[in-house]
Amino acid sequence: MTAAAPAGTGTIDTDVHCAPASLADLTPYFEPYWRTYVLEGGVSLSATQGLAYPPQAPTTATPEAREAGLTPARTVGDLRAHVLDPQGLRAALLTCTASFACNRNPYYEAALTRAVNDWMITEWLDADDRLRAGMVVPTLDTEAAVAEIERIGDDPRVVQVLLPTRTDAPWGNKRHRPLLRAAAEHGLVVGLHAWGRVGNAPTSSGLTHTYLEDYLANSQTIVQAQVASLVTEGVFAELPDLRVTLLESGFSWLPTLLWRFDKDWKGVWREVPWLDSKPSDVVRGHIRLTTNPAHLPRQATQVRQALDLLDAKAMLLYSSDHPHDHGTGHDRLVAALTPDERDAIFAGNAAEWYRLG
Amino acid sequence: MSNTAVAEAAGRTAGKPGYTIVDADIHPSAPAAEIRARLTGDHLARWDMFGSRVPGPPEIYPRVRNAGFRLDAWPEQGPPGSDLRLIQDQLLDEFEVDHGILIPLQGHSWGAEEPEYAAALCRALNDWQRDALLGPEPRLHGSIAIPMESPDLAAEEIALRADDPRFVQILLSTGGELGFGRRRYWPIYAAAQEAGLPIAAHTGGLEQHRGAGWPSFYLEEHVWNGNMMAALILSMVSEGVFDRFPDLQVICVEGGIAWAGPLMWALDDAWERLRTDVPHLRKPPSEYVREHFWFTTQPIEEPDDPGDLEITLGHVGMNERIMFASDYPHWDFDSPRHAPRVFPAALRTGIMGANACRLYGLADRAAEAVR
Repeated sequence: MTAAAPAGTGTIDTDVHCAPASLADLTPYFEPYWRTYVLEGGVSLSATQGLAYPPQAPTTATPEAREAGLTPARTVGDLRAHVLDPQGLRAALLTCTASFACNRNPYYEAALTRAVNDWMITEWLDADDRLRAGMVVPTLDTEAAVAEIERIGDDPRVVQVLLPTRTDAPWGNKRHRPLLRAAAEHGLVVGLHAWGRVGNAPTSSGLTHTYLEDYLANSQTIVQAQVASLVTEGVFAELPDLRVTLLESGFSWLPTLLWRFDKDWKGVWREVPWLDSKPSDVVRGHIRLTTNPAHLPRQATQVRQALDLLDAKAMLLYSSDHPHDHGTGHDRLVAALTPDERDAIFAGNAAEWYRLG
Repeated sequence: MSNTAVAEAAGRTAGKPGYTIVDADIHPSAPAAEIRARLTGDHLARWDMFGSRVPGPPEIYPRVRNAGFRLDAWPEQGPPGSDLRLIQDQLLDEFEVDHGILIPLQGHSWGAEEPEYAAALCRALNDWQRDALLGPEPRLHGSIAIPMESPDLAAEEIALRADDPRFVQILLSTGGELGFGRRRYWPIYAAAQEAGLPIAAHTGGLEQHRGAGWPSFYLEEHVWNGNMMAALILSMVSEGVFDRFPDLQVICVEGGIAWAGPLMWALDDAWERLRTDVPHLRKPPSEYVREHFWFTTQPIEEPDDPGDLEITLGHVGMNERIMFASDYPHWDFDSPRHAPRVFPAALRTGIMGANACRLYGLADRAAEAVR
């Protein structure tokens, strides 16, 4: 987590978190009805983002970020002073997942995501030209999500549609297709980011007692089901220009998933006739993964093997995941990279993937 | 590839394999009439009126061809896996299998029925295994089907069978009403440890998808089997099952293997950061995995380059805990003759039988010869 490129190298960081300090920050961007709804209903933004980031958990913030009060960054000034300037970043993709843990009111979710987007554009993108953003959309109302993409998706600083990985139906499901199509038509990457709606159990069989089990579900099960869904349902056959990034969801699990996926497809391809090439080829053509968390082995030779199995140079996009702190894995990743891999992962891949020019 | 070439590739001497063959995943299926004949009173009335209320996974995700079975596995009467003669002809005799472990998947659904009814169904299923298969065929060894959602009754069934050496393990699914690490299920593990029997967690059970939502296709569900198995390991380790039951052994059946390396990397990294969350874990979680879990091979991952599988098994680091399985009579059956080609040469003898003999205490052909 701590390893970033030295200043001045033109690094592109694809996952930098920011969030409003409270709903009060979003008040200017709400219609009057929703201001009243928030006020009278006692509605607030979850302090843990729906249990995703317990404030005192070591994973929630690095000591440096905690010291600076960036848990995550609340203002562009703070981000500039503590991240953008000292690290010499060429560009940073802002991730605001504050709306992920929304309640179940679909109309409120539409209002909240719209407010987050307007707050992001006005207070962040307008303030620093190094910033790019993932826009958020309502997850319970596909028409409203499409409308929101139509509304702001052509802003060149908006490069991604952020979706939570924890969902009522996986993103490949037919019901979500207009949303994905709108993203593809606007040239936006779809970013599937860890976590999701409050109260949505992480496992097939329900809630977990420990945060550790909840946290690991992001990388070890949930995101993998999303990949299987997108490929199996033929999303990329229908939308050949669609690009998907998996954020804060790990990456070292990908090779073994693809071996299983290819083998099963060879056995039951009749079920999904629209899937006319190996799932691994589809994934490698349409999906990229961010580098944090980097769950890697302890031995350097095994790290190298894991990166080769993945084809890390082609598949990874550097992310600090600021301010989150996933431990020492990212240091092991960086130590294993060749100079060419480092250039690709820290800058070239993201510039190309997000069309940053 | 001709049989001769296969034999050489698999390290076999002329005709007879040079190693013991244990098939750790054979699916018998009890004909309905055989279960009905073993029910009485209220349970019989429930059977006749309501049958089973727990849906089997194929009702939700149909198997694409031939209902998911090998085309040639249907006996003249009854479902595949119900006829001992056919199991002998197509599997035990055909491939000179020394030991076969039965995994009756009907227990997955029946074990989640109304508690007393679930117990009666599982008892009937176990009695049928004993009468129809284990008694007449000593090469076969049984799994104790249990009413897993009624753990007190499950413990009774385990205790009842504990002294019958023909049953060598306890059958669990991967899809419970809750994560199988939950304390609610601990009476099962207490009984297993007391009986000295391993738990075989076979893919399947209750079909639920609350994390990412319900998939649409069998392809996704089948890929998900490995993730369900990973979830089972996460649940059992993080809830502290192995601190409470230090002798418990758990076999991951039909969920693949190669994913376990990346899972353990993630577990150890997370544990370093989150020890306050799991104070009961006294060592890196990967150590619990390597001390308590086993894997069966079918459907083992098959990368384009077989060398990649060997690398990945090195990451898992549990080669002594991998056991061959054919998954007879399912569509994706792995032949004991051909499957060894996929396994790294140095591991074949262990995977094909020696590892299972050690776990189950079965006679090992090679060990007997040495003696």
